[in-house]
Amino acid sequence: MRRLDEKLIPVLLSTPVAVLILCLLWIVVSIGGEGIQALNWSLLTSSVLEGGIFESMVGTLYMLGGAVALATPLGVATAVYLVEYAAESRLNHLIIQAVNNLAGVPSIIFGLFGYAFFCRFLGLGVSLLSGWLTLVCMILPIIVSGSVEAISMVPTSFREAALALGAPKWRVVKDVVLPAAAPGLATSVILGVGRVAGETAAILFTSSVYLMRGLPSTVLEPVMTLTYHLFVLLVATPGGMTGKPFAMALLLLGLVVSLNVLAYIIRVYYRRRW
Amino acid sequence: MDPKIEVRELNVWYGNHHVLKDLSIKIPERRVLAIIGPSGCGKSTLLMTLNRMIELVEGARVEGRCLLDGVDIYNPGIPLTELRRRVGMVFQKPNPLPKSIYENVAYGPKVHGVKDRRKLDEIVENCLKVVGLWDEVKDRLNKSAFELSVGQQQRLCIARALAVKPEVLLMDEPCSALDPMNTRIIEKLICSLGRELTVVVVTHNIQQAARVSDFTAFIYLGRLVEYGPTDRLFESPVNRLTRDYISGEFG
Repeated sequence: MRRLDEKLIPVLLSTPVAVLILCLLWIVVSIGGEGIQALNWSLLTSSVLEGGIFESMVGTLYMLGGAVALATPLGVATAVYLVEYAAESRLNHLIIQAVNNLAGVPSIIFGLFGYAFFCRFLGLGVSLLSGWLTLVCMILPIIVSGSVEAISMVPTSFREAALALGAPKWRVVKDVVLPAAAPGLATSVILGVGRVAGETAAILFTSSVYLMRGLPSTVLEPVMTLTYHLFVLLVATPGGMTGKPFAMALLLLGLVVSLNVLAYIIRVYYRRRW
Repeated sequence: MDPKIEVRELNVWYGNHHVLKDLSIKIPERRVLAIIGPSGCGKSTLLMTLNRMIELVEGARVEGRCLLDGVDIYNPGIPLTELRRRVGMVFQKPNPLPKSIYENVAYGPKVHGVKDRRKLDEIVENCLKVVGLWDEVKDRLNKSAFELSVGQQQRLCIARALAVKPEVLLMDEPCSALDPMNTRIIEKLICSLGRELTVVVVTHNIQQAARVSDFTAFIYLGRLVEYGPTDRLFESPVNRLTRDYISGEFG
């Protein structure tokens, strides 16, 4: 009986793992196989009006770049406040818990909120800026909770050492805590970007259009993105999809995977130098 | 001679726990004072009140007066950063900053406004020489401080504390994590530092107190039991508790 257990349990446990890996492989092979054939230089560089994806590809980078540039300082500052300045209290724990919960809210809800608040109430319309702010709302919880953890991991002895030299608190944070937490902070930012890199629902109503000539020249203009472009292509051509959508899917997949790999590398490379 | 530090009727609580009770002591200038006593008697707490690091302990409450050159350091008008520059601290466990060897020593002066690179180089070299670390590390000043041995790290921490030119140096069991060789080096260092500045060293090790200090204070259960010149206190302790403690009967 025991022998059987010992043989059976590993098999039972490894089956889901195998299924998972197979699924992943299947996705990569089916998308990659078709995508790689359709992927070529002229697809990337020619305008959507000529059958390319230039605007949506660069538009995606615009979206992500702006959202990260806004969310990172906000998120890290919030985490610094929560860990270093706010007194240990029930309220503080409640805030951190609420932030963690926010990270799990479905993206369509962020999209709806963004549309109602940024586009309509603040009158920003369907625009790059509305999209940025909506994505910031989505990324912030991830950056804040990751940064809170990274900052909490910095040993108290570092802070004591600097404070005992007569360093003011803000210098201790700037010179000691943040550099020591930097790898963790970077990881949390990258994971945040990874979460929204493939985001469709949140930008569906807030910033994306299916077709536009060229890139937005101000932040109040809408923008094309790979995800929404892909979504529309899929909806518009039921069945018989070939070529271009797969190339776009491959690009998105590549982006998300490389972000996660980058986060992983940073985590491993900087693992506890002290 | 006026004392460098005068503690008057100091009481400290951690929450409801009364740690130091009506403690008064005058700490002479340019001498080494050893504070001895069994674990949990309040030695480290006393040390932490002298540079207000105790304020980092949650739930700590301090009453009484603590005069540095006659001025109460708990006076609300006292700038904390300047107080901690004047009253430096070396911790029980070596705690180098996650920076290079050079930056560890240069950090304090930089915080206090020294910008000139040549001046910083000079401070770093001098301080590392004082603690006998210069020859060991001069070729790898830009390497991480964590590459040093524990004993070297502790000497680096002393150099770092000296770099801001403190008037008082508080040392909390500075040798308890170290090997005999580094302990010897640091004990010698304490003796020579005692001629330049006021050193207060908390120690578990009674022999160490006898070797390094000019004065010794014995604290038991939060009260100052006996205080006097080290030779006198070790040769003819007045209080029975002191006698029992230094003869190793408890502690």
